[in-house]
Amino acid sequence: MSSPAEALPVPVRVGTNEYSEIVEWLYREARMLDNGEFAAWLELMTNDIVYEMPTRTSVMPKEGSGFHPEFGFFAESHSSMTLRVKRLGTSQAWAEQPRSRTRHFVSNVLVDRVGEHVYKVTSAFMVTRIRSHRHYDFFTGERVDVLRRESTNLKLARRTILLDQTVLEAHNLSIFL
Amino acid sequence: MNTNSPGIDPNLLRDRVNLKDLVNAERHEVSRRVYADPELYEWEQDRLFRRTWLFLAHESELPKPGDYVSRDLAGEPVVLIRGDDLKIRGFLNSCRHRGMRLCRADHGHVSIVRCQYHGWTYSKTGALLSVFAKDLYEADRLRKEELRLIPITQLDSYRGMIFGTWNADAPSLADYLGNMRFYLDLYLGRTDGGTEVIGTPQVWDVAANWKFATDNFTGDNFHLYSTHGSIIELGLLPPDPMSLSYGHLVHPQDGHVLHVVPGPPDPLFEYFGLPKELVPQLERNLSPVQFELIRRYGFSVGTVFPNLSFLQVMVQGDFEAPPTPFLNFRQWQPTGPTSTRVWSWLLVDKEASPEYRKATYEAYVRTFGPSGVFEQDDLENWEECTRVNKGKIAQQYTLHHQMNVHVPVDPEFPGPGKAWKGSYGESTQIAFYAEWQRWLMQPKPWVRT
Repeated sequence: MSSPAEALPVPVRVGTNEYSEIVEWLYREARMLDNGEFAAWLELMTNDIVYEMPTRTSVMPKEGSGFHPEFGFFAESHSSMTLRVKRLGTSQAWAEQPRSRTRHFVSNVLVDRVGEHVYKVTSAFMVTRIRSHRHYDFFTGERVDVLRRESTNLKLARRTILLDQTVLEAHNLSIFL
Repeated sequence: MNTNSPGIDPNLLRDRVNLKDLVNAERHEVSRRVYADPELYEWEQDRLFRRTWLFLAHESELPKPGDYVSRDLAGEPVVLIRGDDLKIRGFLNSCRHRGMRLCRADHGHVSIVRCQYHGWTYSKTGALLSVFAKDLYEADRLRKEELRLIPITQLDSYRGMIFGTWNADAPSLADYLGNMRFYLDLYLGRTDGGTEVIGTPQVWDVAANWKFATDNFTGDNFHLYSTHGSIIELGLLPPDPMSLSYGHLVHPQDGHVLHVVPGPPDPLFEYFGLPKELVPQLERNLSPVQFELIRRYGFSVGTVFPNLSFLQVMVQGDFEAPPTPFLNFRQWQPTGPTSTRVWSWLLVDKEASPEYRKATYEAYVRTFGPSGVFEQDDLENWEECTRVNKGKIAQQYTLHHQMNVHVPVDPEFPGPGKAWKGSYGESTQIAFYAEWQRWLMQPKPWVRT
């Protein structure tokens, strides 16, 4: 795949097997989330996973994108993600009992190889959530993912969720983006 | 301030129900109507929010001259700007010409404030500096001194927390907070440099009445073992369902309320669990009585009347980390009879180490805020309570606030105000609702007799 002389990052072209494998990984991940297969979803993560979602403010262009990496809605490790997933398996995780009905849409997938068996994957997401009497909660934004191949499987090593909303239009984030 | 016509009892709602019957402090009953009534929402805005002191920002959010933050004061957009003299001033965020919103980002930096509509400019102190085509105005038609930015009527801060009010008659902030200052020092005034905000606040919208949030933050410890049963199941809270009952409920004065609760008998849970290297600072910044209190306790939650709450607690955000403290301030900003915008600031002592800052952030974000494994479930509850209590049938029945309200005030408690031994109880909630009712009924509730 990569030769020592190769300058990184290398774009992984749409239509290649390498690209298709990554897109299929994202689709399968989305299906797991929508089906509530959270234990299996956790298996997709490396032990050093960083899962984060910074706060965002509306700022003038000279101030940059308005993301604040030092504070956010998620700052997770494998241990804390395990806690979140195990919590959903208890009998009293009321925010998800009854369960939310979510739909994760993933598109605009672009892949760069940034190391041997390491990929940076950016994608646009739209997530809808419906629960109880609430009509749609709506989340849109960009995911910046790092996927790493461990033995034969691709695993998620980092996910940065860059939400478009500055005010979260949902009473809680008991789902994963 | 009354919305009714002259001659009509200002405390009668349209259907002739009297405000005095909505909260019965003697019988510890609260009407469900207070959480879901458009007419009461308007009265709250008129009689409470446009007349009382409200939290706006922390001074560390605008550290340098020219820094500004856009906020909301009783439903009106305001901007706080730090001047070249380092003083923070607050204004209605509105040009005097057409009322255009001036500072349109959530925060930023300006040398002058320029209205994008017709180009009027203002100084950081609110003076009108220039208008477009000034020569086209007849002499005396452009009185710059009369066209300053509209200031927030009173603006003041306590221990870095900036408050404002539109009420010229309101007492000073220090008087308004009164005895609550003694307790706020335990969170905000304990270290040499005070506190600062990490990043920017989380902001989110909830379909709940703001008073369900304050009700929970007046000292409700006894929801823990049902609402947060998932955490008990995971083994991250003591199995003893009375574990948070061994402290005190406190009513410093005038609807400001809190609880203080000791942790398990382990030095880890003293001083709210703060890093032990900060203890000498606590000792020199706090009075002996305050220092003794902070030594005793691991947990404290409360509310500065009406809608600024705080949370100084220790939690485990994952299976490996020890119980780790965080200090969080909340504003429950009503946006309608049954909707609230929540603002949540994480504060840290400026002297804390980088490692502690990381640990306190992770502890907070994993457990509280909209994604927190505790608070997810609180938010679900407050929306469901609000939804049900809209019902006209439901509203025929009052709500029950009678736990441990028979216990007398504890004369041994060393802090100011009234305190009750036993931190499961509803005395602080009733104190909050009684104050809410007073503000809605009294012509000048800030005047104490």
